[in-house]
Amino acid sequence: MNRSIEYLLRRLGFYTLAAWIAVTLNFLIPRLMPGDPAQIMFARFKGEMSPESIGALRETFGISDAPLWGQYFTYLKHLLRGDMGISVSNFPEPVINVIASGLLWSIFLAGSALVISFFIGTSLGALAAWRRGGFLDSVTPPLLALLGAFPYFWMAMLTLFVFGFGLGWFPLWHAYPEGTSPGFNLPFLFGALYHATLPAATMVIASLGGWMLAMRNTMVGILGSDYITYARARGLPPRQVLIRYAARNALLPNITGFGMALGFVLGGALLTEIIFSYPGQGYLLLQAVRAQDYPLMQGLFLTITLAVLGANWLVDIATLILDPRTRR
Amino acid sequence: MTSYYKSKHDRKKLRSLAAILPFVIAVLAITVVSGCRKERSHVRPGVLTVAQEQQSSWVRNFHPFLPMGVARWGTSAGIYEPLMIFNRMAGEYVPWLATAYEWQGGAEALIFTIRQGVRWSDGTPFSASDVVYTFNLLHEKPALDTGGLWDYLASVELDEEDRVVLTFSRPYSPGLMSLAQLPIVPAHIWRKLDDPVTFTNPNPVATGPFTEVLSFGGQVYELGRNPYYWKDGYPKIEALRFPAFPTNEQVTLALINGELDWAGSFVPAIDRIFVARDPEHHGYWFPAVAGSVYLYPSQWVEEFRDVRVRKALSLALDRAMINRIAMYNYTLLPEPTGLSEGYAKWRHPGIKPGDGWVHHDVAAAEKLLDEAGYRRSGKSGMRTGRNGKPLAFEISVIAGWSDWVRACQVIARNLREIGIDARVKAYDFTGWFEKVQRGEFELSIGWADDGPTPYRVFRGIMATETVKPFGDTSYVNWQRFGNKEADELLARFEGTVDFQKQREIALRLQEIFVEEAPAIPIFLNPSWGQYNTRRFVGWPNAANPYVRLSPNHPPEPLMIMTRLEPAPGREGETK
Repeated sequence: MNRSIEYLLRRLGFYTLAAWIAVTLNFLIPRLMPGDPAQIMFARFKGEMSPESIGALRETFGISDAPLWGQYFTYLKHLLRGDMGISVSNFPEPVINVIASGLLWSIFLAGSALVISFFIGTSLGALAAWRRGGFLDSVTPPLLALLGAFPYFWMAMLTLFVFGFGLGWFPLWHAYPEGTSPGFNLPFLFGALYHATLPAATMVIASLGGWMLAMRNTMVGILGSDYITYARARGLPPRQVLIRYAARNALLPNITGFGMALGFVLGGALLTEIIFSYPGQGYLLLQAVRAQDYPLMQGLFLTITLAVLGANWLVDIATLILDPRTRR
Repeated sequence: MTSYYKSKHDRKKLRSLAAILPFVIAVLAITVVSGCRKERSHVRPGVLTVAQEQQSSWVRNFHPFLPMGVARWGTSAGIYEPLMIFNRMAGEYVPWLATAYEWQGGAEALIFTIRQGVRWSDGTPFSASDVVYTFNLLHEKPALDTGGLWDYLASVELDEEDRVVLTFSRPYSPGLMSLAQLPIVPAHIWRKLDDPVTFTNPNPVATGPFTEVLSFGGQVYELGRNPYYWKDGYPKIEALRFPAFPTNEQVTLALINGELDWAGSFVPAIDRIFVARDPEHHGYWFPAVAGSVYLYPSQWVEEFRDVRVRKALSLALDRAMINRIAMYNYTLLPEPTGLSEGYAKWRHPGIKPGDGWVHHDVAAAEKLLDEAGYRRSGKSGMRTGRNGKPLAFEISVIAGWSDWVRACQVIARNLREIGIDARVKAYDFTGWFEKVQRGEFELSIGWADDGPTPYRVFRGIMATETVKPFGDTSYVNWQRFGNKEADELLARFEGTVDFQKQREIALRLQEIFVEEAPAIPIFLNPSWGQYNTRRFVGWPNAANPYVRLSPNHPPEPLMIMTRLEPAPGREGETK
């Protein structure tokens, strides 16, 4: 057991180093882009704003010409205090507040879509491999691969058009119904679920095939190994062989994939958010890049990076539990 | 064995096809059925729904001096009001919080008479001292002075008749619009603020028709009526409602669905996809008064220092095709002077359409280039420059601005027809903007500085004062063209407030423009605006052009908000 803890601590050290590198790149990359937020804002007016205003805007936004080193240390210092600065495109709102407006929605939408897709996909994959050549095995993979191969933008638009606009079964936009107030009340909670159905469904459809195929292929390999034949020969109940011996081992690569995907949930789902007018991190990021809103960009990248690293560490723990070999 | 496997494989293929077919058929069937569906809107009666900003969620900010897009649109269109509104359609100033303005001593001082009987939305009386306070606030906090007013203001104070006197540090008549349209804030509230620059103003106190924030959520916010609004009986709208939409596509969908009453976005093939859906209620109006789009030949390129070459470039352009391909025929072709419809009363009566070089005449273009010494040669038939190399230029455009990119592609084709090898190069916005500001480009599409008079347009295109060395950043006059006579005319324009004198100067400026071809007009920028008369009537349109329909140019929307009425048969619903 000591060895496992040592292993986890070593990984933690590695992730801390990775986090520092990410934080530094996060600082540098936006600053290598040409232009500044005041110019971008001016340009959006296509000549309707007086050119003299650029100077005033730079002053308003506190755009600094200080040397990079100085800026870097101020940035690190503020970061440690949890202060990510003030968003330029939402001046003078602190970055933390802007991110908070989209974060929970992203976790809710992309997170639930990921969990649903992962469970359905891996279960289908395991079953398909178990009954090789059966109906599930011959029909579902090509169908799901086909659905997954559609350009996501097109598929989501079509779904919105048919089920939202055409049939009117689902709302066309937003995360909860108008007139309900976010909080612990039934109309809001049910409304939020109802509003998330269509966008989440498109995300599940697009990613289901990947989970299923990956699971099925690993399963097929494992079902051919000697210990499974032995388990069968010993007369263990098929269900026990399927779940305890085959699926558990086949799950390992998918768990790694799940961990990676979990981290990226915080990045939001840009296309889904745009098509369904859903609030979330993805659109915030796009907006931040468009407006050269460095503080907001940095804040978003930071949450994404930390989430990916955190999720990876959780995967390390999960692997440790699932696969006894790593404990040795 | 082999045959067994093969046939099994084929069966699999067939089965998967059979599985897909029902899905495809279902989608097609549903698409057909979707044509017939009814209006479903949960909006309370009397509430007007507007889409102007494109955001995925709202941040509560009603700061009147921050640029559009940072503060919510309602801030300058509904909440705060200016002294006067410049109505671009009529080309005149409409009295608002001021009842009149008067110049003194040429353009040395400007006097506003302030409206009586106006109240702030908290019930406090509004007075001329609020106006004085607002101007001086910008002086104290230069970060708020985004219009650069204090570049030419010297002092702002009250006279003995309670009028507001703005004294200039130099005669500067073009300052009128920025001064008249400054949003006025209540001194009794703003005086108490610690930092007016970072104030988000969540609960504004103002004089406008819609000052009460009824609800504010990330997805939708609503502004209710000001209980003390000064215009009797108006507004006749209960509240304004703003749903958040991230892109044009969602706005288009909401428009088609009848859920929006007012929008200002670009909609492709609008007659077919929007108007035809409900011809009785859906309407749009795209007057071409928002300035012109130009092709700039930079003086950086030796060939473009020859006026004949600049004129030839222009004569080669098939603007009707550009309008069709790039702009869905939504706009108008420019006049020989490049001035948009918004400058109708300034236009030169002696310069008729077809004069000059802003029309399609390939033969004339070829002749000019031959005269300039750039003859066609070799097998390719392309023209050669002085150095013996073929004439080849790059047209810079912003990647993703699809209308401009399409326009540039047509332009490149037109230029190749007259023997100039032109290629379109799309740059990311910031890269493009740096490049054109430094003047280090060959040809570039771009906007022009715009204002209530042609002063800003011509200053930005041909004043020597705005010419900076190549490599330095210049916000206007990217192509670095200067004309000494224009300088003197522009200086005289600044110093006079008499319309006839200003117009004479503008006429001469137009003649210089036609002689010198400093920039090449391509098309006029339309002001996008869509409306729905199902719930409200009284929208401006071509038949009733009292102001621009587009919500994109605050404070003009105030004129629409205080004029709209519930649609007939819906009056009772507003109570």
